[in-house]
Amino acid sequence: MEIFEHSRTIYSVPHEIPLGVLIAVYFYLTVLSAGSFVISVVANLLGLTQYKPIAKITAVLAPLLLMIAPLNLIIDLEQKPRFWELFVFLNPTSPITWGSFLLTLYPLSAIIYAYFVFTGNKSLSRLFGIIGIPLAISVHGYTGFILALAKGRALWNTFLMPVLFLVSAMVSGIALVIIVYIGKLWWFSKGKSPEEMEKEKGLVSNMCGILVGSIVTDLFLIFCDVAVLMTSISEAKEVAHLITMGKFAPYFLGVELFMGGVIPLILLTTPATKRNLGVQFAASLLVMAGIMAMRYVVVVGGQYIPLSM
Amino acid sequence: MKNLEGEHNQNSDSVHSKETKPCYGMVIDLRRCIGCHACSVACKAENKVPLSVFRSWVKITERGAFPNARRYFLPLLCNHCEHPICVINCPVKASYKRDDGIVLIDYDKCIGCKYCIASCPYEIRFVNPERRTVEKCTFCAHRIDKGYLPSCVNACPTTARIFGDLNDPDSEVSKLLANNPVQVLKREMGTEPRVFYIGADLFAMKERF
Repeated sequence: MEIFEHSRTIYSVPHEIPLGVLIAVYFYLTVLSAGSFVISVVANLLGLTQYKPIAKITAVLAPLLLMIAPLNLIIDLEQKPRFWELFVFLNPTSPITWGSFLLTLYPLSAIIYAYFVFTGNKSLSRLFGIIGIPLAISVHGYTGFILALAKGRALWNTFLMPVLFLVSAMVSGIALVIIVYIGKLWWFSKGKSPEEMEKEKGLVSNMCGILVGSIVTDLFLIFCDVAVLMTSISEAKEVAHLITMGKFAPYFLGVELFMGGVIPLILLTTPATKRNLGVQFAASLLVMAGIMAMRYVVVVGGQYIPLSM
Repeated sequence: MKNLEGEHNQNSDSVHSKETKPCYGMVIDLRRCIGCHACSVACKAENKVPLSVFRSWVKITERGAFPNARRYFLPLLCNHCEHPICVINCPVKASYKRDDGIVLIDYDKCIGCKYCIASCPYEIRFVNPERRTVEKCTFCAHRIDKGYLPSCVNACPTTARIFGDLNDPDSEVSKLLANNPVQVLKREMGTEPRVFYIGADLFAMKERF
């Protein structure tokens, strides 16, 4: 309408974006940890000897990443010395309260699990692996709920958020394991016979297959999300415009979808390149960069449009 | 100074209803608002709000081209929602709702996680740069408890802001709500705001549609 094109805001009070890059990095690290833990337990439960090395690597990665992740949260607090209140004044309706317990219990179970994996105690490592899986899934899932339950923001307020976080956790978790595993192969390749190397390469290719499947699922969910945003209420349309054509388009379309999704998919499905360790390594790095961009777009892009202006 | 039992203002009703529990709310009659910002200044002075942040302010929008043009004013403050998402989401219960409907923050408890700021659909909360906790409009609860009106209501020269007990059918706010077409901000959020507007402009309430 012509008349509304002559409309403008003369004065209002803008507010800063409350949750920034630290929170995006926190989501990224949590989800990497939980993703690699699930892979470790699955590899361990399958009981196949060829998966044993993966189970060990990921058993170390999971608690390590999760000890760094909550530090981001505490640094982000305005009143850092008061963080203990999270364990004393509980609010059952707040996902952050759920998180303070999940973020305590999950690394504990991951450390106990890692201990039994390394001491070779099969039955106890299985037991703590099985206990840890629902915790790991809750740790991915609750971060999605933090965003989904902040209902003022159109990009966040969708049931798809926890699901999207679970799938992207799987994607980045597998990519991280592939990177670490290939790194280990290169580092310790000297003493290995050609047959052993072939076996190891086959294992990496298996993981790349799972990675391709996860990326496809992730891309499908993102497509669903954006398609609904574009046809939904005015704020949803606006945020869809922001991430597809506006300021966050380079991160969303460029880094998250193209660099972190389409290119790795092509690299890992083309027969000429898909069995090459270097290509698999590079594709996994791209995937991890893409998922970090996804966290940034969701957290910062989701708050970019001012609500009171 | 005008007070809740004041003789010479529109809030001549008693805010402290005797029969039922009070439920405080505000009606902002934009037909009377002249956009003078007296409420913003009074709020700053009363609550010692630091520079660069505001608990209440007047948004100004403009529409049309000369000679068919006009400015619209929209005073903004905490809506003291019936279902406040900030209280629901606060992990340490630092944000809470009093029995009289006023939503407050316990500054000694707030850890400053800023989740409430991200959750609030009205973007009314902010971090106080001096105290380093989250802060927002309190309906001047400290004044109400002593029988005075909120500072912004007290300062408004055209009595565009009217404060009172929504549970008292004889209060000025109840009468205005009964006799006028009223609106709230972002009704679709399901927060049930307790700040009502008479004559609010669509574009001013939400720039985009």
